[in-house]
Amino acid sequence: MNAAPRNDAAAERALDTLSSGERGVIAALDCEPSVARRLMELGLVPGTEIVVIRRAPLGDPLEVSVRGVRLSLRRSEARRIHVAPR
Amino acid sequence: MSPRAEPAPRRIAILGNPNAGKSTLFNALTGLRQKVGNYPGVTVEKKTGFCDLPSGRRAEVIDLPGSYSLQPASPDEMIVRDVLLGLQSDTPPPDLIVFVVDATNLDRHLYLALQVIELGRPLLLVLNMMDLAHARGQRMDERALERALGVPVVGISAAKGDGIAQLRELMDRDVEPSTRHFRQFPPYLQRVLDRLEHRLPRHATLPDRARHDLAVAMLLDNGEDDALASHVPPEALDDARTVARRLDEMSPGWRADDVAGRYEEISALLAESVVAPGERGDRRRDAIDRVLTHRVHGPLIFVVLMGAVFQSVFAWSLPAMNLIDLAVTRIGTIVGHAMPDGALRSLLVDGVIAGVGTTLTFVPQIAILFFFLCVLEDSGYMARAAFIMDRVMGKVGLSGRSFIPLMSSFACAIPGIMATRSIDNRRDRFTTIMIAPFMSCSARLPVYALLIGAFVPNRWVGFVTLPGITLFAMYFLGIVAAVVIAFALKRTVLRGGRPLYVMELPPYRMPSWRSVLITVRERSLLFLQKAGTVILAISVVLWFLASYPKGGEAVRALELQRAVAVVSGDSVQAHTLERQIAGAALEHSFAGQAGRFIEPSIAPLGFDWRIGIGLITSLAAREVMVSTMATVFNLGNVDNNVQPLRQSLRVATDARTGARAYTPLAGVSLMVFYVLACQCMSTLAVVRRETNSWRWPIFMLVMMNALAWLASFAVFQGGKLLGFGA
Repeated sequence: MNAAPRNDAAAERALDTLSSGERGVIAALDCEPSVARRLMELGLVPGTEIVVIRRAPLGDPLEVSVRGVRLSLRRSEARRIHVAPR
Repeated sequence: MSPRAEPAPRRIAILGNPNAGKSTLFNALTGLRQKVGNYPGVTVEKKTGFCDLPSGRRAEVIDLPGSYSLQPASPDEMIVRDVLLGLQSDTPPPDLIVFVVDATNLDRHLYLALQVIELGRPLLLVLNMMDLAHARGQRMDERALERALGVPVVGISAAKGDGIAQLRELMDRDVEPSTRHFRQFPPYLQRVLDRLEHRLPRHATLPDRARHDLAVAMLLDNGEDDALASHVPPEALDDARTVARRLDEMSPGWRADDVAGRYEEISALLAESVVAPGERGDRRRDAIDRVLTHRVHGPLIFVVLMGAVFQSVFAWSLPAMNLIDLAVTRIGTIVGHAMPDGALRSLLVDGVIAGVGTTLTFVPQIAILFFFLCVLEDSGYMARAAFIMDRVMGKVGLSGRSFIPLMSSFACAIPGIMATRSIDNRRDRFTTIMIAPFMSCSARLPVYALLIGAFVPNRWVGFVTLPGITLFAMYFLGIVAAVVIAFALKRTVLRGGRPLYVMELPPYRMPSWRSVLITVRERSLLFLQKAGTVILAISVVLWFLASYPKGGEAVRALELQRAVAVVSGDSVQAHTLERQIAGAALEHSFAGQAGRFIEPSIAPLGFDWRIGIGLITSLAAREVMVSTMATVFNLGNVDNNVQPLRQSLRVATDARTGARAYTPLAGVSLMVFYVLACQCMSTLAVVRRETNSWRWPIFMLVMMNALAWLASFAVFQGGKLLGFGA
């Protein structure tokens, strides 16, 4: 969450900058509260490992793996998900 | 109650995340004993069925819509919450909840399971897809899971039928509800919730158990939970909004504070009961995905696959169609010979048999199309199609989520429009609703098939036939129109921000053929029921309109000429006159008058008054066009046989000039009209309900029909200019 204390903010990257196959740990969801809640209900809880699997043929959206589930996420949303290196 | 009276059926609800395999389990349990309806007031599909339990008792099984959370984000999820909380008046809370989770994704699927277990209702946890879990080396201690959750746990594979017998056994028993409470809200939120809960009135319509969850819903509501207002007093709702605003200022992350806690609890719980596979067995799906969502092959396979589907729908159904054609002709002939000439024979042969029979011819195509749509959905490909198409849909301001409702609209816009309920964003949903009728539905297929059969030569062009290409072109035209309209709507009346777009990409699965066939049967029957009632009724009405009033000066004059021809032995002339008499009689009828009346407005599109009759009756449902034409042309035939309609259209002549009435160009123009025109009362009724306003269906009717007229005008006049008019 945007209010959560973040120590390594410098090392954090937006999820959409990860290349295919790259892993990270979700650090914060910097989106609208109801959107953040739905993302977390789908398993994107801060502290969870997330892997970018691939990009769609036209470059958007991204396929990510989180908690063993594959989700399709748009770049516009992935941009607001901050990940820390593992 | 008398001792022999059958006990009331046990009411069992199947619940779970999307992609948990609920519907496959539902089909495995109930088979053909299913009923499809709607929840009152909304158009979320309500599926119920019956199954026998080992004790001989019956169970009424209800397949609830797939949900991710009890805090709803869509109308489907609202229905689920309302049923479980006892707020849905037509669907009382079930005696037993069969909660289906994907055993290979326990982590995520347990999120909703825990929420539901906490409701304290009798619940069975079903671990589905155990075969896949074992195959990837996952081991589960089901007893440990039972102890941790306080509910019975059973492992099954719904698609293979493994463990169904054991599940039936458990469904027969009385299950004690779990008393477990998992991670609660943080204390500060709990206090707020308690206070809100006390504000809710205590009365019969609001069960005690529902109070806590309603308090949660009130607090988390961001103004989109339509169902809330009917369950709680407005003061309480205002109160909750004030509290929520204050929380937003004080602790911006509060809305999701409980979610993380729940996932921690799930991780702790699974650590004791599940030996996770060392490596996730995702190699197979990744290998398939590398091909199907590949930058180059992905879209290519998508286009080829869609093309193949439509080609197959046309080609595979042909033998079956011809067989039905033949059978209907036979029946018409037999009935025609067995009965004395008169109004009743005419009604039966020209009204009933011709009308319903011709519509029956198209059932094979509908069944094949639904078969493909169902296989694509159940195999997991449909989600990849949405993944591939998202960027494209994004261009018109929609998301990949709109793709599946639109894809379903190829079968019928009504379920397609209903499927838009899974689109969270209102503007996206309305846009999708407005363009869904442009997808060529199965009711148009009979019209395309008739016109292609009549006017497009069956010639091979490379790997496909000319009819196949034409059919594909009609579907494609609908898509183009939809894109244009969506683009326009998103920039005018439905302008707004981009919605959240998250979609699950399920693993690839072999579809359960039983499940696919049940769906194909169900959808074909729905179409047939429509054919059996609406089309029969309209066929009879049409027969009347086309048969009465009898006589007319032109008819009498022609009859006189014919009598002369017969006497002078000129059988060719007599035959020609016979046709002209039939034509004149039709022209004199009510239907002919109506067709004539609109003829000036459709003549520039290449249509005459007979097509005009078809256009008028099509307003009931598009497929009625076919039975109308059958009625119209059979009445025009000299013998009482149900002649294949295609042939009739091809050789139809203009009664005045004797020239061919419809050129192939007019046939194409008519197809284009059917692609674009809004000719389905049922669609308009559904749009009215889904948008809760008359504005949208009226807008749809005007917009689509104006577009259809313009496009057909352009095709027919443009085609003539280019020399295709012959």
